[in-house]
Amino acid sequence: MAEKRNITRLIFSISSLVDLGQEVTSAKSFNERMKTALYVVTGMFSVPKAALLVYNSNQQRLKLLTHKGLKDTTWGNIHVKAKHIKSFSKNEPYSLSKIKTNFLYNPNTEALEKFHTKTFIPLFAKDEFVGAICLGKRLSRPSYLRSEKNVLKVVANQIAITLHNSSLFRRLTNKVNENKKLYENMRHIYNDTIKAFAAAIDAKDVYTKNHSFRVAKYAVAIAGELGWKEKDVEAIYVAGLLHDIGKITIDRGVINKGEDLSVSELSEIKRHPQISYDILSKINFPWKDLVHFVKHHHERIDGRGYPDSLQGEELSDGVKILAIADAFDAMTTDRPYRKKLSLTEALHEVKKCLGTQFDRRISNVFFRVLQKEIKGETKEAQILPHLDKGFNPTVITSLLETITAELSA
Amino acid sequence: MNNFSILSKTINGIVIFLPKGYVNDLGAENLEHACEEFLSKEMKKVVINFSEIQYINSIGASIFTGIVQKIAEHNGMLCFTNMKKVHSDVFEMLGITRHVKVFKEEKDAVNFLKESN
Ligand SMILES: [Fe+2]
Repeated sequence: MAEKRNITRLIFSISSLVDLGQEVTSAKSFNERMKTALYVVTGMFSVPKAALLVYNSNQQRLKLLTHKGLKDTTWGNIHVKAKHIKSFSKNEPYSLSKIKTNFLYNPNTEALEKFHTKTFIPLFAKDEFVGAICLGKRLSRPSYLRSEKNVLKVVANQIAITLHNSSLFRRLTNKVNENKKLYENMRHIYNDTIKAFAAAIDAKDVYTKNHSFRVAKYAVAIAGELGWKEKDVEAIYVAGLLHDIGKITIDRGVINKGEDLSVSELSEIKRHPQISYDILSKINFPWKDLVHFVKHHHERIDGRGYPDSLQGEELSDGVKILAIADAFDAMTTDRPYRKKLSLTEALHEVKKCLGTQFDRRISNVFFRVLQKEIKGETKEAQILPHLDKGFNPTVITSLLETITAELSA
Repeated sequence: MNNFSILSKTINGIVIFLPKGYVNDLGAENLEHACEEFLSKEMKKVVINFSEIQYINSIGASIFTGIVQKIAEHNGMLCFTNMKKVHSDVFEMLGITRHVKVFKEEKDAVNFLKESN
């Protein structure tokens, strides 16, 4: 039951963040975008009354920009002196009881009450104080869970950046800002959120800590070497982060058991790609192929994989990439039933499974990236930093050369 | 966007809304405004039939949150009917259903409201 609710929360949070990302970058007017952003927040946390305020640094005041559910909006100002700004934690939700003990409350009691403030979030874009959100009482529980606070912070950050980017804010602060690409920042925030969920998946499986991160990194390295477009690389990255999300519905004991799985336990585990697909297909991601990659990450070239026993060219390149990234990380990390393989052993294992478990062409690309990384020929190593340092580069390089020569012949 | 519309009718002073389509942008605020209009006419018994609603995102949830709040402030009664499981799961998680009577069918809600004062 609690598990089911967590999944509902997870899907709802991710899709809300996806929606928020799309809304704040949409072609709508600034006011409409900000109003929509506030509605996303109030909907995520079931808050009927809320206000979004923008900071005017000349007047040292927060002014009402948009609101949800307020009747009296004439109390549009909260005074925040410049010298006080630095005492705020950036984009951190403050409960009313906390606010009551600091500088903010006394001069602004009336305004805060008019906004029905139960939670106050100071908005910062980088180091600049740009505004605040006042959230009223929630329809559900009065306080916020730790995980909810984290999501709230991500959302606040995103709204802060949008606010900072706006011409309105620049006008108010009399600043002709260099047009920095804050949009890029937003992408990072979006990624951070997905990463936070990936961490939740990995936390369930004691032996696969950070597995999702590494799979994502390895997949990006291979896709990049294949010359994929940036948007497609993003898709495989997020697919890597979320491919095992279906495991959150499987009993922890079964996941961490490793060996001696009964037939029913094994089939339980084998359900996870389909469950991942079911969860993620409810989210309106900007990447079409993502759910397809996720669903088939345990398929094999010889058709002995699951869930659909696809074979050969029925597997798309993305699926083949994820399959090798996933398996390679499994080989090179400790598992409940065996110690991790050395890099040499793992490479021999991949080689042994070419044409059965792994696609030759994609594996060749994987070997090539690894080779380049060892030789320092890539801009940024994606695979190497995650492997044990104990290997002999000369030995591995010559092994990789032999394999790739064989494959290219 | 135009993928949202509302039908409404009244039976014995009970207002019944049948919203259609996607409750995922500010366009759906029309439902909240329509509720306010009936509340201002002292019509405080409201049924929302979800059978034609496809998708509700957080923006939609925010609008329902507003409706719940307004009806409570007017001491009105709010019923939700014909909800799909995905929607009731989300509303339950958000604590919205705590403030609402949920019925399987629209007629059950109407009967309930007829008998209550
Ligand atoms: Fe998996």
